[in-house]
Amino acid sequence: MMVLTPTSLPELYDALALSGARALAGGTDLLVRLRTEARRGENEPTTLVRLDGVPELRGISITAEGAVRLGACSTHAELLDDVAVRENLAPLGQALAELGSPAIRNMGTLGGNLCTASPAGDCLPPLTVLEAQVEIGGPAGLRRMPLAEFITGPGCTRLEPGEAVLAVEAALSDDFAVRHFEKVGRRGALAIAVVSLAALLKLDGRGRVAVARLAWGSVGPAVWRCPEAEAALLGVRPTLPALKRVAAIVRKRVSPIDDVRASAEYRREVAGNLLLRLAAL
Amino acid sequence: MIPSGPHIPQPRADALAKALGAERYALDTAPADCLWAGAYRPGAVPGPSFGVAHGRVRSVDVSAALAVPGVVRVLTAVDVPGTNRQGIVHKDQPVLCDVVRHAGDPVALVLAESASALRLGLAALRADIEPLPAVFDPELALKKNAPLLHPQHKGGNLLLRAVIAKGDARSALKSAPVVVRGAFSTPVQEHAFLEPQCGWAQMLPGGLHMTVSTQSPFRDRFEIGHALGLNPFSIRIVAPYLGGGFGGKDGSTVQCLLGLAALNSDGRPVRMAWDREESILAGYKRHAVRLRYALGAERDGTLVALSCRLVFDTGAYAHLGGEVMELSMEHAGGPYRIPHVRVEGRCVYTNNPVAGAFRGFGVAQVSPAFEGLMDELAAALGMDPLALRRKNALGPGDVNTSGVAVTSSSHLPECLDLAAAHPLWTGRDEWRKAAPPFTLRGVGLAAVFNGMGYGRGLADMAIAKLEMTETGGFLVYNAVADMGQGNASAFALLAAQELNQEQAAIGLVQPDTERCHPSGSSSAGRTTYTFGNALVRACAAMRRKLLARAAMALLVDDLDALELIPGAVRHKATGKALPLAVMARFLTRDDRVCVAEALMPVAQNPPATGKDFVIGFPHLLFAYAAHLARVEVDELTGRVRVCDYAAITDGGRVLNRQGFDQQAQGGAAQGIGYALFEDFRLSAGVIKTRDLSTYLIPTALDLPDIESLAAEGFEETGPHGLKGVGEVGMNGPAPAIAAALSDALGVRLRDLPFTPERVLAAVKSGRNKSGRNKGGKRA
Amino acid sequence: MKLSFHLNGTPVALDTAPDRRALDVLREDLRALPGHGHTARGAGEADEGRAALDVKEGCGTGECGVCSILVDGEHKLACLMLAAQLEGRRVTTAAGLGAPGRPHAVQRAFAEMGAVQCGFCTPGMEIAAAALLARNPAPTRAEARRALSGNLCRCTGYVKIVDAVLAAAAMLRAERAAPCETYESGEACESGEAGAGEGGK
Repeated sequence: MMVLTPTSLPELYDALALSGARALAGGTDLLVRLRTEARRGENEPTTLVRLDGVPELRGISITAEGAVRLGACSTHAELLDDVAVRENLAPLGQALAELGSPAIRNMGTLGGNLCTASPAGDCLPPLTVLEAQVEIGGPAGLRRMPLAEFITGPGCTRLEPGEAVLAVEAALSDDFAVRHFEKVGRRGALAIAVVSLAALLKLDGRGRVAVARLAWGSVGPAVWRCPEAEAALLGVRPTLPALKRVAAIVRKRVSPIDDVRASAEYRREVAGNLLLRLAAL
Repeated sequence: MIPSGPHIPQPRADALAKALGAERYALDTAPADCLWAGAYRPGAVPGPSFGVAHGRVRSVDVSAALAVPGVVRVLTAVDVPGTNRQGIVHKDQPVLCDVVRHAGDPVALVLAESASALRLGLAALRADIEPLPAVFDPELALKKNAPLLHPQHKGGNLLLRAVIAKGDARSALKSAPVVVRGAFSTPVQEHAFLEPQCGWAQMLPGGLHMTVSTQSPFRDRFEIGHALGLNPFSIRIVAPYLGGGFGGKDGSTVQCLLGLAALNSDGRPVRMAWDREESILAGYKRHAVRLRYALGAERDGTLVALSCRLVFDTGAYAHLGGEVMELSMEHAGGPYRIPHVRVEGRCVYTNNPVAGAFRGFGVAQVSPAFEGLMDELAAALGMDPLALRRKNALGPGDVNTSGVAVTSSSHLPECLDLAAAHPLWTGRDEWRKAAPPFTLRGVGLAAVFNGMGYGRGLADMAIAKLEMTETGGFLVYNAVADMGQGNASAFALLAAQELNQEQAAIGLVQPDTERCHPSGSSSAGRTTYTFGNALVRACAAMRRKLLARAAMALLVDDLDALELIPGAVRHKATGKALPLAVMARFLTRDDRVCVAEALMPVAQNPPATGKDFVIGFPHLLFAYAAHLARVEVDELTGRVRVCDYAAITDGGRVLNRQGFDQQAQGGAAQGIGYALFEDFRLSAGVIKTRDLSTYLIPTALDLPDIESLAAEGFEETGPHGLKGVGEVGMNGPAPAIAAALSDALGVRLRDLPFTPERVLAAVKSGRNKSGRNKGGKRA
Repeated sequence: MKLSFHLNGTPVALDTAPDRRALDVLREDLRALPGHGHTARGAGEADEGRAALDVKEGCGTGECGVCSILVDGEHKLACLMLAAQLEGRRVTTAAGLGAPGRPHAVQRAFAEMGAVQCGFCTPGMEIAAAALLARNPAPTRAEARRALSGNLCRCTGYVKIVDAVLAAAAMLRAERAAPCETYESGEACESGEAGAGEGGK
């Protein structure tokens, strides 16, 4: 395979337009996938296009509107090191802290996590409750869409040929009293999530839920929302009995699958149970 | 806080080189101009034969593979000279198969100029395999019309059936006042050593030369010779330090395939390295076992009778299946006095991956069963579980469940006493009550043991060669591969002590069948014990010889007047010293070498049972341990966290505390993996947990600081009083954690591993049971 | 491509395919370069050239950590990097943490504290430890475990590895506190940084 290292957006788009070109960010997903494909005798890409040389894809900043802008080629470690991410995008910081391992965090990128679009992607539930916007660039210009629209299924995104994710922007969440993320893996590191939950709750002056945003990972083809659960939380104090009632709604609505890591039944049970954790916060 | 444990001034002899990244493992020494060899396993790759666990190879289309630039040869079964059969005891495993008996069986061998050519060549192979009916359940495999894996084998799919009996268990159980019963199951376990199977080989004018990651260099020659029709004594095997073995590199892994490759490479060196997926696919495994138990006792807790039936899934080939079952059955009753015992075992062929040797060798499987029932018995009697064990624990003068007298150093009672006094045990009630929200806490105890050595039926022997070098230092010719257990370093330490020399004066030669003497495999907790004993004798002979030679030069007529000091022989009265460096120059090479052997003692007057076993029954020497586990269960997810763990081990005398602790901690870690994390998934012979992302071994965030304590004794037959402790630590965690989970949940889990899913189900059913308040906030 | 980078403090330059795994560049391709001779052990072994054989392969998929290296001081995995990504970088392997004849504190601590059994995970663990200590000179046991969480060990149960990391941290703090008293005059003082001239993040 050829390896190209564009250093500007125009160069990047030209490279991505080449037939058989694939984008390479951290490589922690792509190179594993290419290895599997090679072992099966499948054809490899003609060209790998490195994203880490394009300055527009790096960096963390605050936009004029007050959102946090995360360059797509930011590594997980860079994001974790950033105060704005840790304090303002708390569920994302919590997810990043448990993602992979230290070396994987030094190599893997936010954009990579998005474009891999795994149902178990650790960043995805937090970015969903943060109502993240994905900025895509291509020869035809820029476009933006909510993360929920960007990912359409396992491994599937709205990226057109020749395009790349440039950045993710997420709203500040400091007026949400409850900012929570929990990942259930089969061990404490290097673990693919079996179920995960990101939750943002805004409480009124009397401790009742005014805004609820919940997003689950690993229980569906993409990040899963449950509007009925969110609605059931409104106007209610997030006590254990209340959360138990909402958990029952979640278990009725969710439809996870069996796989080598967990059964559907376990995922269903735990998807509801994870809500109860909010009572102890 | 830096722990205050003993900080030995002299680290392990191998530690610094490994820490500097300077130690060279088998693959590191492969020459640059090697051909690359790889096995084609059609059951493993996408295609028409994917997942075929039993089939007849009609043909292999090699044309596309041979057309790949860089592919040099493609070999199939017809190209294998000799018998095309390998195996440690039973020669039932082809090097290249005409009949595939498990999904990882190799059908062809590709030789190529580069790794990428090899990969392309393997991907281009096509095998036409006619599927045969397959069987994946050992009990189904015993039924009358089950597909046969080895039609020539007289017992059908039954590799071995055996009984160990003492007294009359059936009647004793009938009349026992209290009987507890249970059915248990243990899964396949993967060794998951960090260094996969690998090596390189070359046909030289003198014969086949191979450097390979192996626990059994001397025996490998015979396996290769028998399989490929070569004279075993023309095969030289060099065994550098292994990057882990744990039993999975005992017996031919890459060796026969490498030998075949070297025979077909026109004298060029050939290398083979299994990647992780191939290691999981084709490597040997721990036997999955089903256990049905009944344990009877008096009302005061005195054990009266044990009856159990065990079924071992040995997979497609025998490997060491019968031997694993033998050791398992010897341990099936636990380290207790039980007058009436009946253990029946069946070891069965199936079309599953091949099961063989793995640390804890059958004992890891029975430990959760006998300990699980001891806990249930304690509960039924209203007795403290530790007290019940203490009451029945084997000690010197007792007879074990196989009818063998305990004549060696044996300190299980002391282990239990240390456990009883340990804060993890004494503080368990308070600790349990202080559980945080959504958490249930429990504390568990297990008493375990593990026999050492090969047992009866074959000589458990080692031969130590010791040389004084031309410069007056010493070389120990280590003949038992060091897979990380530190035996090589222990030998250097022993030699230094025996010869009264500085540690720096002792060098080591790692196993090389041309330079060292046959000493059996690195396994069975025997390496330090047996070779150590031989080395002590060789050192004694060397010492006597050096004093005698020096006496001539020093004009001394009484050898007792002389002593060996660092670097010299010294006349005690006058202080006159003859440097060893000087002596070395006037001794011939032959005279600078001492060779001595040692044989592990075996049980005299073995009991009149276990007659079905050709080798193994019974063992004589055992290590004992008591383990304590403190666990937390998350009620919302079923995840189990081992918060604290202590291993209290009786290994006789502790020669090197650091090495002793290393084994205890490492064994416990592997046992915790076995109990909680390592969920080997197999479906119709196809491995679902194909790599390290799905087969999960514990990371540094999954284990506590495992504490290692010693209940020190003195084993008279062992070098400096030691016993082998390499295996016993593996057996404690599953029963200790099962006990802790039962303590936390009020439910007994009998199927390993205790996955979050199983534990969550137990959390729910425990909640539905009695309302006894276990403390902690319940959701 | 013509690839040039720094390996353990000295420059290397070679011709290789840009999509070659960094692990293969380090273990295989560098054999062709004339060696320094201070890493090879024993007699009768194939010439290693500049190959970094302390970098191991355990899984090829980023799951085990034995291929750990420092790239510009950051802990990365050579099995998931391409040759092109090494261009111009400063690469440190475990063997390059100390100076010839003077082991790094991490290496001494691993050897002395019993953190080495089979030793196959050891180079990768030392890289993880060095990366941690460059950022955090006084880690807790929990922080050490977290830094090591991507490096699997099957032999030790990690306890003595954590002991070694903390012991190395103490050694490095002591050296920094009184550097010139520790070594004979004229010798360079060992800094807490990973490898000659390597900086932490």
